[in-house]
Amino acid sequence: MTGSVAELFFLAFFGLAAIWFGIVVFRTHSMVRSALALLFSQTAIGAMFLVMQAEFLGVLQIMMMATEMSVMALFMVMFMMDPGGMGAMDMSHQKRLSLRAGGVGLLAALAVSWLPDWGPAAINIPSAARQTELLGIELLGRSMFIFESAGLTILTSMIAATMVAIAPRKSGVTHDC
Amino acid sequence: MNIVIILLTLAMGVYFIAIVEGWAVHGRISLSRPALSALALFGRESLLVRTPDRLFFEAGPILLLVVGLLAMAVIPLAPGLIITDLATGALFLNAALAYVLVALIMAGWGPNGGYAMIGGWRFLGQFIAYAMLIVMPITAVAMRAESLSTTVIVTSQAQLWNVFYQPIGFVLFVLAAMALAWLPPLDLPNAPGDLAGGFEAEYTGVRLAVLRLARMVIILAMAGAIVTFYLGGWLGPWLPGWLWSIIKMLIVTTAMLTTGRLVPRVREANLLAAGWKLGIPLALANIFLVGVIALVVDI
Amino acid sequence: MIVELSVALSIGAGLFAVGLYGALSQTNLVMIMMGIELILAAALVNLVAFWRYLHPDAMSGQMFVLIVMTVMAVEMAVGFAIAIARFRSRGSVEMEEARELKG
Repeated sequence: MTGSVAELFFLAFFGLAAIWFGIVVFRTHSMVRSALALLFSQTAIGAMFLVMQAEFLGVLQIMMMATEMSVMALFMVMFMMDPGGMGAMDMSHQKRLSLRAGGVGLLAALAVSWLPDWGPAAINIPSAARQTELLGIELLGRSMFIFESAGLTILTSMIAATMVAIAPRKSGVTHDC
Repeated sequence: MNIVIILLTLAMGVYFIAIVEGWAVHGRISLSRPALSALALFGRESLLVRTPDRLFFEAGPILLLVVGLLAMAVIPLAPGLIITDLATGALFLNAALAYVLVALIMAGWGPNGGYAMIGGWRFLGQFIAYAMLIVMPITAVAMRAESLSTTVIVTSQAQLWNVFYQPIGFVLFVLAAMALAWLPPLDLPNAPGDLAGGFEAEYTGVRLAVLRLARMVIILAMAGAIVTFYLGGWLGPWLPGWLWSIIKMLIVTTAMLTTGRLVPRVREANLLAAGWKLGIPLALANIFLVGVIALVVDI
Repeated sequence: MIVELSVALSIGAGLFAVGLYGALSQTNLVMIMMGIELILAAALVNLVAFWRYLHPDAMSGQMFVLIVMTVMAVEMAVGFAIAIARFRSRGSVEMEEARELKG
């Protein structure tokens, strides 16, 4: 029982941290702070995975998001008019509509999650090492096709993103870089 | 108990690194110099720049130190002498090291200074060059050990160390480790000589002391990772296991700290080109070779 | 009634709401992508919670999480590429100024 209480506490703690950092993302004016707040939100979600005994996924989430959000911070600084947030610019529109949409989404999601009877909780969780092994067997066995198509999707998007982002060559102009 | 022993080892290792680095930079071996300069840093005034991002400015060095300690937590010094033997230890090491980048970006952005910011973003570019070269060699190591646990990885090398089993992976991982700990010739984020200290430029006093300490912990953690993954960890004849780990780690740190200084600093664009055009194909070839060898030969 | 599952799902609902608000209210493309990341993160939380409390023996739940992480990475890559192309041609990635894309 004590394990369950501790699990509940940490689940709620990291979850609330994730939501709080998620709110900070859209409230702060400094863009680097915004990107790193999203990083800490994702890290808190990774910690929630660890609490839910999905060790591999938790560590993977924590690892992947560090890179992703750092790159995001760089792009924020590149593309925003006021990356340092010194001017306290308002960068939002249709606030009321967004708030309403968010509220409706929250209520709907809460209703869906609270109303049905989910049945009894599972008790036997495989150990972390066994989970990793089972996941590998799943990925390279039954779900191999889906996994491979995910890999192919990444490859396609890498090529497409590079092609879209590359500077169009103008004739007669040489770029020195 | 394990934690105390490992932290003591860590402290001694850090002091050793400071001495070796002093030798590599100034050409003199002085046993007291690191302690004296640390004392000097603590005595100095800790300046605060005008309009900093105070949160990042303070949190950067501390996050760097925490990251180094977390990375040390999964490195075994002897059978059982490890802080946490996670089932996903190798991946955890990776995850901890990814936050070196976050800490450096925070330290670079925080002080509101040009050199510092360039240093921080430069490390992001450097990270993109070396990140895959950390992950892919570890994948090959885990393939041979059939486990992500660091202790199992060490015991899997009982017959043959991984440095002989997958030499390509070893070379790539050492280079990537040097890039991660921004050791010369890959010291782009602080780049003494052309960036005025880079992200360290605005740090003084106690904060600078924490930053330097954290960097040494990271160097030691990288040496520990190299020893664990490629040089057989605690395995070795005659001497006790923990002594072997420490000897190997000290040799690796000395080699990393001294040899790089003989090479001129690599330019960012060249590093990226080499990392992606040469390093990643080699790392993939390494994974393929290790897979074939693991299937065919039984060692 | 599984309390842990309900808590995890409520957290997911909260993250979804915050992400939806962000994606709708922000004017900058990069900020909109942050909102979408939060929505996908909410999906991740729900997937792991369902795996943990309902079907821990079925690894397809964890596989689904990996696929969603892939989707996040792909979304980032393509989104940034579009941002770069847009910034190069128009000098800004503000969505208010992109009305000509409406057709």
